[in-house]
Amino acid sequence: MDLIDFARGPALQWSLALFIFGIAWRLIGVLLLHRKVDHSLPRHQDTTMGGVRLIFSRMWPKPEFRQSNAVHYALSYTFHIGLFIVIFLFRPHMLFIRDLTGLSWPTLPSGFVYVIGAMTLATLVAMLVRRMSHPVLKMISNFDDYFSWAVTALPVATGLLAVSHLGARYETLLALHILSVCLLLVWFPFGKLMHATLFVISRGTTGALFERKGAST
Amino acid sequence: MRDKTVLELLQARGVSRRGFLKFCATTASLLALPPSAAAAIAETLGKTRRPSVIWLSFQECTGCTESLTRAHLPTIESLIFDAISLDYHHTLQAASGSAAEAAREEAMKAAWGQYVLVVDGSIPLGEQGYYSAIAGVSNLEMLKETAAGAAAIINMGTCAAYGGIPQANPNPTGAVPVSAIIKDKPIVNVPGCPPIPVVMTSVVAHYLTFGAVPELDHLGRPKSFYGDTIHDRCYRRPFYDQGKFATSFDDEGARNGWCLYQLGCKGPTTYNACATVKWNDGTSFPIQSGHGCIGCSEPNFWDKGSFYQPLSAGIWGDRQATLGTAAVAGAAVGAVAAASTRIRQQHASEEK
Amino acid sequence: MSEIVDNNPLDLTGTRISVQKPEVRYDVQGEMPDEERVRIAMRSFVKDFGAHSAIYMESCIHCGMCAEACHYYVQTGDPKYTPIWKLELFKQAYKREAGPFAFVYRLFDLKSAVTAQQLQQWQELIYDSCTMCGRCTMICPMGIDIAALVSQARHAMFEAGLVPHELWAVAERAEREGSPLGATASTFADRCEWMADEHEVEVPVDKERADVLVTISSIEIMKYPNTIADFAKVLNHMGVDWTFRTDGYEATNFGLLSGNAAWQKDMSMKMIKAAIACGAKTLILPECGHAYGALRWQGANLYGKPLPFEVLHISEYLARGIKEGKIRLRQWPESVTFHDPCQVSRRGGATAAPREVMRALGVKLTEMGEPGLNWCCGGGGGVVTIHRADELRYKTFELKMKQVEATKAEHLVSSCSNCRQTFDDGQAHFQWDKTMESLLEIVAANLINT
Repeated sequence: MDLIDFARGPALQWSLALFIFGIAWRLIGVLLLHRKVDHSLPRHQDTTMGGVRLIFSRMWPKPEFRQSNAVHYALSYTFHIGLFIVIFLFRPHMLFIRDLTGLSWPTLPSGFVYVIGAMTLATLVAMLVRRMSHPVLKMISNFDDYFSWAVTALPVATGLLAVSHLGARYETLLALHILSVCLLLVWFPFGKLMHATLFVISRGTTGALFERKGAST
Repeated sequence: MRDKTVLELLQARGVSRRGFLKFCATTASLLALPPSAAAAIAETLGKTRRPSVIWLSFQECTGCTESLTRAHLPTIESLIFDAISLDYHHTLQAASGSAAEAAREEAMKAAWGQYVLVVDGSIPLGEQGYYSAIAGVSNLEMLKETAAGAAAIINMGTCAAYGGIPQANPNPTGAVPVSAIIKDKPIVNVPGCPPIPVVMTSVVAHYLTFGAVPELDHLGRPKSFYGDTIHDRCYRRPFYDQGKFATSFDDEGARNGWCLYQLGCKGPTTYNACATVKWNDGTSFPIQSGHGCIGCSEPNFWDKGSFYQPLSAGIWGDRQATLGTAAVAGAAVGAVAAASTRIRQQHASEEK
Repeated sequence: MSEIVDNNPLDLTGTRISVQKPEVRYDVQGEMPDEERVRIAMRSFVKDFGAHSAIYMESCIHCGMCAEACHYYVQTGDPKYTPIWKLELFKQAYKREAGPFAFVYRLFDLKSAVTAQQLQQWQELIYDSCTMCGRCTMICPMGIDIAALVSQARHAMFEAGLVPHELWAVAERAEREGSPLGATASTFADRCEWMADEHEVEVPVDKERADVLVTISSIEIMKYPNTIADFAKVLNHMGVDWTFRTDGYEATNFGLLSGNAAWQKDMSMKMIKAAIACGAKTLILPECGHAYGALRWQGANLYGKPLPFEVLHISEYLARGIKEGKIRLRQWPESVTFHDPCQVSRRGGATAAPREVMRALGVKLTEMGEPGLNWCCGGGGGVVTIHRADELRYKTFELKMKQVEATKAEHLVSSCSNCRQTFDDGQAHFQWDKTMESLLEIVAANLINT
C-alpha cells in the first residue's frame, strides 16, 4: 500500500473514527454533568429562542467592542471565512463530504479557492505572530493553542503545495494533505478546535440562561 | 533476416527513408531528447542489426499485444514493432508446441547477454508457481531462465510492471511483478492497461541508440512519458480550474466536455502520456471520449476504490460500522467520565 | 482569624463604607498546611461543577478578547487582568477533577498541581480586580459567562481561607451581626424612627401582615438614611400595604461577595422568612446591585423551591406603579445619563424599568452606549471595601468618569447604593463635579401628592 492509499483508506477511516469517538466523549462527558433546577421566577419563558438568538447574534461583535478588538476581528473573520470557503466551496472537498454524508452543494472555481487558500494561510501566519507577540495572548496561550494552530495550518499549507506541485510529486503531496487532515481530525475533539461544535452549546447555554433573566446578551 | 538492419527491414515493408526519419524525430521528441538525437537514432537504427527480442507472456489478457499489433491502420510504430520482433512470442509466432520452445532456447543461445526481454503479465508465486505454466514450465522458472541472459527487461503493461489485475485483491494466485523476482537486470516499466504503443517502440529505439535504458522515475517508468499527470496535461484542465464539472455521464457538463473529476477521473494521480501522445495515431484518449481516467498505469489501480468515486472520496472499509462503534464507544466513555465526576463531587460534598 | 474578627472597627465616616484600613493585613484565614489549602480550594471549585460551568470551561479558545472588555486590563494594560486568566488556576482543577478527560489527566498527571503561593497571588485577580460586572461575558465569542465562573472561584478561595482581609471581616460581621456595617436590627429600627420624624412620614416597621415587604441595604441605612424616607414616601403615595421588618431587612449579601455559600444562604433566608412571615406577595429589593442577583435569581434556589412571593428591584416596582397609574410624577426635564448597575441591569435583566421611570419623569436621557453595557463603577463585587485595591479602583474609575463626561449630561443617575458610594468616593478622590443621584430619591422628590 502506498502513502496515498494509506491516507485515503485506513488513515482517514481511523482518524474519522477517533474524531467521532472524541467528540462524543467530550460532549457527553460535559452534558451529563449535573444540572440544577432553577426555581427562580423567569422573566422570559422562551429560553430556547434566547439560546438560538445568541448563537447567531454573537457571530457579530457589538459596536461597543469593535474598535478595541478591530485587528482581532479582522483576522478572525478573514481566517474563518477563508477556511470555510476552502473547506466547503472547493469541489474536491465537497465531494469528500458528499461521499461521507450524501449532501452536495454548489462550489466555487478552483482557481479562486487557491487564492483564498493562500490568503487564509497568510492570515493564519499573522494570527500566530500576533499570538506570540501580543502580551495578553502570549500569556494565556498554551500547548493547545500552538498545536491547534499547527494542525489547522498544515492542511492549508499542504493543500496549497499539492495544487501548486511544490516540493514533491502530486500524489505524495496529496497524501500528506490528507494525512494532515487526519491529524486535524484526531486532535479536533481533544483540543480547542472543538470550539467549532462547542460554540453552539456554550453560546446557547448563556443565551438561554440570560434570556430567562432578561439580562443583556 | 537477422542480418538485416532495422532500416532495411522497414524499407522492405514499404517505409520510405523520409517516413523513417520522421519516426526518429518523433521518437526523439517523445523521449524529450534534444533534436540532434533524432539523427543519432536514425543513424543507429540505420546500421544496427535487428535486435533479438524475446517476448514472454505470463498472467495476462493479451491486451498489451493487441494494443501494439491491432492498430486500425498499420502505423510506423507497429511496423517498427514488427521489424524488431520477435524470436519468441507465443501469441504471434507461427510455431507451436515444442518447436516454439525450441525457438526460444535457440534465440537465447544465439544472443546470450544481448537480447531484450519483454514481459507482459504477472508471475504467480502461489502453489509453487504452477497457477500458470507454458509447456510444463512455470512462469517463474521461465522468467528466471530467460532473464538470466537478457541485456535488459521491458515490462509491457501494468501486470508485468506492478502486478496489475492478477495481483488485485485478493490476489488468488499470489501474482507479483517481474521486479519482485529479477533484481540484477535493468528493468524498464511501460505500465498501462494497455500501454501506449509508441512508448514501447520509443523505449526500444532509445535502448538501441544509446545502449542504455532511458531515464526512469521512482516507479521504473521512462520519465519522458510518465513525467506528468494526465490531469496536468489534460485539455479539460481549464474546466477544473473554473470549477466546471460534469456531474453525470449524460448531463450538460458531460456534453460540454467539462472536467470529469466528480465522475471519478484519476487523472490527477496518474502519470502517463495519454493526454499528450493519445491513442490510435493521436486520435483520442479516454477522457476525450468522455470517460475519466482509471489510473491504469499506476500500481494497484484496481484496488484504489471505485473508478467512479471522486479522487477526494475516501477508500473506506466498513465505514458505517466503524464510525457507529466509535460514536457509541465515545458516548459510553463520556457517560462514565460524567458519572465518575458526579460521584467524586458527591464524595467531596459529604466530606464537609 | 480572630485578629480579623476582633480588630476591625468600622469606618463609617469615609465616603465609602468598610472597615478601617487594617494596620496588619490578614489575607489568609485559618491555620492549615499549604497542601491542604490547595486541596480544599481545588476540591471546592469543582464540588458544585455542573454542566453549564463545565461547558464554559471547555469552550475557551484563548482569543484574549475579554481583556478589552475588562476595565482593569483596559486601564492598566497588564495582561494578568485578562478575565479568563483570572480562572487559570481553577481551569487546571477543572481539567484534573471534573472535565470529561479528567481521568486521563490524573492518570498521566498532565496538569501540574497548583501551589499555595499561586493561589495567594490569584487572590488579587479573583477579588481586587474583578467586580464580576460581566462585560467579558458580553464580548466572549464563545459566550462564556466568565463572571459566573469567578463567583464560583470565590467559593473555592473562601473555603481555602484566601479572602482579602476587609472582605472577610465585613462578611463575617454581616453573618454575625446581621449587617456588614453595624446596621443591626435595633440600629435600623432607630433610624426608621429618626427618618419618620425628620421627614414627617409614616414608616411601618415590623407589621404582622403586609402585602409588600421592603428591604434595604446597610449602605443606605448608614450612609444614605434618607432612602428610608424615600421608600416610605413612594409606597405611602401608592397606598400600598407595606412594611420593613427587623427580622429581614438587610439586602446586601457579603456571603455571596466573599464566596461563602452558607453565609449567603443565611442572609437570603432572613428576608425570605420575613416575607413569608408577614404574608407578603411582593418583596422589594433596594437600590443595590448584588442584592438583586442574590435574591431575585438565586434566592429561590437557596430556598429549594419557588418563592411564594415575587421579588422586584425598586426600579421595577416604580416602573410598574407608574404603568398602573399608582405613581403620579411631576416633570423633571433635566439632562440625565443613567449608569446601569451591572447586577441589576446587564446581569439581572432590569434594564428597561429605570428607563420607563425616567420617561415618566420626562428627563432628557443620553445613554452611555448600548443600555446594559456601560462600564462598571469599579466598586462592585466587594472591591470597594478592599483598601489595597483603592489605587487600581481609582484607575478604573477614570474610565467611568470619561464615559459619563462623554454624554455631556448634567445629572448622573443610577439605582445602586454600592455604585453610589463608589461614585462618591471616586468623586472625592478626583474632585469631580458629578454626584451620582439615586433614582428612588428623584422619584420621591417629584411625587404629586393630592
